[in-house]
Amino acid sequence: MTAAPALLLFLTPALPAGLALAAAALLLRLEHRGRPLATLGPLAALALLALALARAPLAGPALAPLAAGLVVAALARDRANLLHSECALKLLWVMGGALALSAAGLSLLALATGVGPVGEQWGVLRLGLTPRPVWSAALPLALLAGLVMLGGAPFHFWVADLFQGARPWLAPLAVAALQAAGAAWIAWRLGGIAGFPEGAALARAVLATAAIAVFLVSAGTLVSQRRPERRVGTLASLQAGLALAGLAATLAPEAGARAAAAWRLAPWAAHLALALTGAAALARFMPVPASPDAPGGALFRRHPASGLAGLFALFSLAGVPGTPGAQLWLDAARGLSAAGQTGALLALGAGWVAAFATVMQQVREAFGVPARTPPGRAVPWEARAALWTAGAGLVALAVAWRLAGRP
Amino acid sequence: MTWLAALRPGPRVTGGLLCAAGFALLAWDGLLAAALGAELLATAFWWWARASDDPARHLPRWEWLRRPAAALWLALAVAAVAPAGAPGPWRALEAGAVVWAGLELLAALPLARPFSDLPGPLLALGPWLPAVLPAAGFVVLWRLQEHWLGVARVRDAAAALLLVTAALAALRAFALRRWTAALRWLAVGDGALAALLVAVRAVPPAASLLLWLSASGAHAFLLGAELSGAVPRRGPVLSAIWRTTTWAASAALAWPMLLAMGARFGARGPLWSLAAALPVALIAWVNVARMVEAPERRAVRRPGTGITLSRVAPLFALAGVPVALAIASWSGPPVGWAAALLALAPAAAGGLGGLLTYRGVAPGALAAPADEPPRTDRLAVRGRAVRQSARRVFRFVTAFERTLAGWALWLLRLPAAPLRDLHSGDAQEYLLLLVGVALLAVVLPLLR
Repeated sequence: MTAAPALLLFLTPALPAGLALAAAALLLRLEHRGRPLATLGPLAALALLALALARAPLAGPALAPLAAGLVVAALARDRANLLHSECALKLLWVMGGALALSAAGLSLLALATGVGPVGEQWGVLRLGLTPRPVWSAALPLALLAGLVMLGGAPFHFWVADLFQGARPWLAPLAVAALQAAGAAWIAWRLGGIAGFPEGAALARAVLATAAIAVFLVSAGTLVSQRRPERRVGTLASLQAGLALAGLAATLAPEAGARAAAAWRLAPWAAHLALALTGAAALARFMPVPASPDAPGGALFRRHPASGLAGLFALFSLAGVPGTPGAQLWLDAARGLSAAGQTGALLALGAGWVAAFATVMQQVREAFGVPARTPPGRAVPWEARAALWTAGAGLVALAVAWRLAGRP
Repeated sequence: MTWLAALRPGPRVTGGLLCAAGFALLAWDGLLAAALGAELLATAFWWWARASDDPARHLPRWEWLRRPAAALWLALAVAAVAPAGAPGPWRALEAGAVVWAGLELLAALPLARPFSDLPGPLLALGPWLPAVLPAAGFVVLWRLQEHWLGVARVRDAAAALLLVTAALAALRAFALRRWTAALRWLAVGDGALAALLVAVRAVPPAASLLLWLSASGAHAFLLGAELSGAVPRRGPVLSAIWRTTTWAASAALAWPMLLAMGARFGARGPLWSLAAALPVALIAWVNVARMVEAPERRAVRRPGTGITLSRVAPLFALAGVPVALAIASWSGPPVGWAAALLALAPAAAGGLGGLLTYRGVAPGALAAPADEPPRTDRLAVRGRAVRQSARRVFRFVTAFERTLAGWALWLLRLPAAPLRDLHSGDAQEYLLLLVGVALLAVVLPLLR
C-alpha cells in the first residue's frame, strides 16, 4: 500500500480512533507501571469507546445510551477515586435524564404519527393530521439527548468536569465518544426531515439557537477560565457548536448542496478523537500560573518539541489557521453563510476569536518566564509519545484531507 | 549539547528577529501576511517582556498587542467565509477589523492609548521600542487600504479617530518635558497624520508612504540617537539642520492632507481642516522649539570628523519629500496658490512660533548643573502653565475614555455573575438545569 491510500484511511474515524486508543493505552501504562494486569479492564473499556467513536457516523440511536453507560461504568469502576465517582454521578444524572426525556419525545412522535421508523414519521406529519403543538413539543425533546451528549451550553460543564476529574487516559476518548454519539443521535433523528419542511424549519431553529448558545457561552467561559483542563473542555464544547452549526446549515432550504456538503460527521469525529487526545494530555503538563511572571512547566522547559506536538492539537481544537481544525471551523462558517444563518455565524466568529485568544494565552503561560532554577524531573516517555501520536495523527489527517480535496 | 545551547540566541536577538519578520510580513500584501506579522510583533514584545528585568510589570503592560493581531485574524476569517460580492455588513465587518488593528497600534483607540508614555520592555532599547508600534499601525492601514477605504462609514469613523489621535499626540508631545517621550508621541502623530492622508485619499499610496517615511523616519532616528549620546543635538549647526528637517518633513506630511480635507468632506471640509490644523501647528512648534541643543560634555569640543550618520541622515529623510510631492501633483488636480499657502499656514505658524519661543543652550556651554533652579522669566512661566494645561487636557480625555471603556466592560461582564451563580457544580443542579431546558424546549416552540 502506498502512502497516499494509507493516508486516506484518515477520512473515516476508524484510524484516528485507533491512534487515540494507542495514546490512551500509553497513558494507562504510565499509571499502572509494573502492573500490566490492572490495565486490562480499563483497556477493554477504552477499546469499546474507540469502537463507538469509529462507528459513530453509521450508528443508530442505540449508540448514545451505550456510550453513556460505558463511560459511567468506566468512571465508577474505581470506587476509591472520588473525582471519578463525582463525574460518574453527574453524567448519570444529566445523561440518564436527557435520554429519558428524549425517549418521551420519541414516544410522543410515534404515538402522534402511529408509525415507528423516523423516515416514515415525517411523511405522516406532512399530511397535517397531527396537531402542531404535539409534534413541535416532541421534536425538541427528541433532540435533547443529542444536545446534552454533545456538551453544548448550558450542558458544557460536564465536558470540563470530565477533563478535570477523570484520569488522562480516559477523559479524551470518553468525551470524544459521547460527543460523537450525541451528533449521531441528532443526525439519526433528523434523517429525512427535508420531506417535512415545517419540521425542518423548527429543527433548524432549535439547532441554530443551541449553536449560538454554545458559541457565546463558551466564549464567555473561556475568558474566565484559568485551569488548562477546563479550557480544553470548553474548547471541546465549541466543537459541539460546530456540529450543531453544521447540522443547522444542512437543514436550510436555501442552503443547497454547498451547505449540505459543508458538514459531515466522519471528519468531525476523526478530528475530535485526535485533537482531544493531544490537548488533554498536554493540559496535564501545563502550569496554572499564580502570577504573570511565573516560570513555565517542565514539559516546555525540558521537552519543547513534545510540547509543540501537543500544542498542535490544542491549536487544531481552537481552529488556528493552518491546522486541520481550522478547516472544520471554516466549513461550518461557510455552511452558515450559505444558509443565511447570520446570527449563528456571528456567534461562531465570537467563539473562534475567544478560542484563538485562549490558546495563545495558554502558550504564553506554558513557556512562562525564563527560570533561573533547573526544570524538575523529565516528563515520562509515555506521555510524550502520546503527545507525538496525537500531533502526528493530526498532521496525517490534514494531509489526507488535502489529498482528498475535502475534510 | 552545550554547543547547541551556546548557539541559541538570547531574548534580545530572538525578539529582534521576530519583530523584523513581523514588519516584513506586515509590509507584504494580503491579510494572512498582515495577521501573521501582527502576531509576530506581539510575540516579539512578549519575548522581550518575559526576559526583562521586571516581567511582572512588562508582561501585562504589552498584553494588549494580541488584540490587533486577533482583529486581523478575524478580518482574514471574514474574507475567507464571505462569498464574492457579499453584502455590505460583511465588508463592513472586515473593514472594521482591519481598521481596529491599525488604529489600536496607532494609539487611536482608548483601550491602550497611553502606551507611548512608557518605555518598552527591552532594557537597552526600551525607550525606542514603542515607536515601532505606530509605525506598524500605519503600515497595516496603508498596506490593507483596499480592505477598508471602500466602506464609507468605517473610513469616516477612522478619519475622525485619527484626527483625535493626532491632536492628543501633539498635546502630549507638547506637555512632556522628556524629549524621548515627546519623540515617541511625535511618532504617533506622524502615523496618525499619514493614516489620515490615506483615509482622505489625498495622494497616491506611494506618495503617502514616502511622506510618512520622511517624517516618522526623522523622529525615529532622533529617538534612536537619544539612546546613544544625542549626537543630532550636539552643536548649533547640526541641531538646526535636524530642527529644519523634522519641521519640513512634518509640514510636507500635513500639507496635502489639509489641502484634500476641504474637497473630501464637502460642506464640513473647513471644520475638518481647522481641526487638523491645530495638531499640525502644535507638532511644528514641538519640532522646532523643543529640540534644544544638547550641552557640550567636553571642555574642548572635538573637531568635526567629516561625514557622520547624523549629518547624512537629514538628506535621506528629506529626499522622499520632493518625490512624493511631485507624484502627488502629477496625479492630483491642480492646486491654486491661495489654497496651497493656506494649507501650509498651520505648519508655518507653528514653526515660526517655535522659533520665537526657542531658548537653546548657549554654544559651547558646559552641561547645566542638576540643581539649577527653574527659569522665572515671563515666557518660561507662561510656557509651563500652557504645558500644564495640555497635560490636564490629555489626562482628562484618556481618563474619560478609560471610564467609558470600563463601563462597557462592566456591562459585558454583567450577565456573567448570574450565569456563574446558576451553576455551582452540584450534581443535583445538573438535573434541575436539564429539566429547565427541557421545559423551555417544549414551551418555546408552542409560543412561536
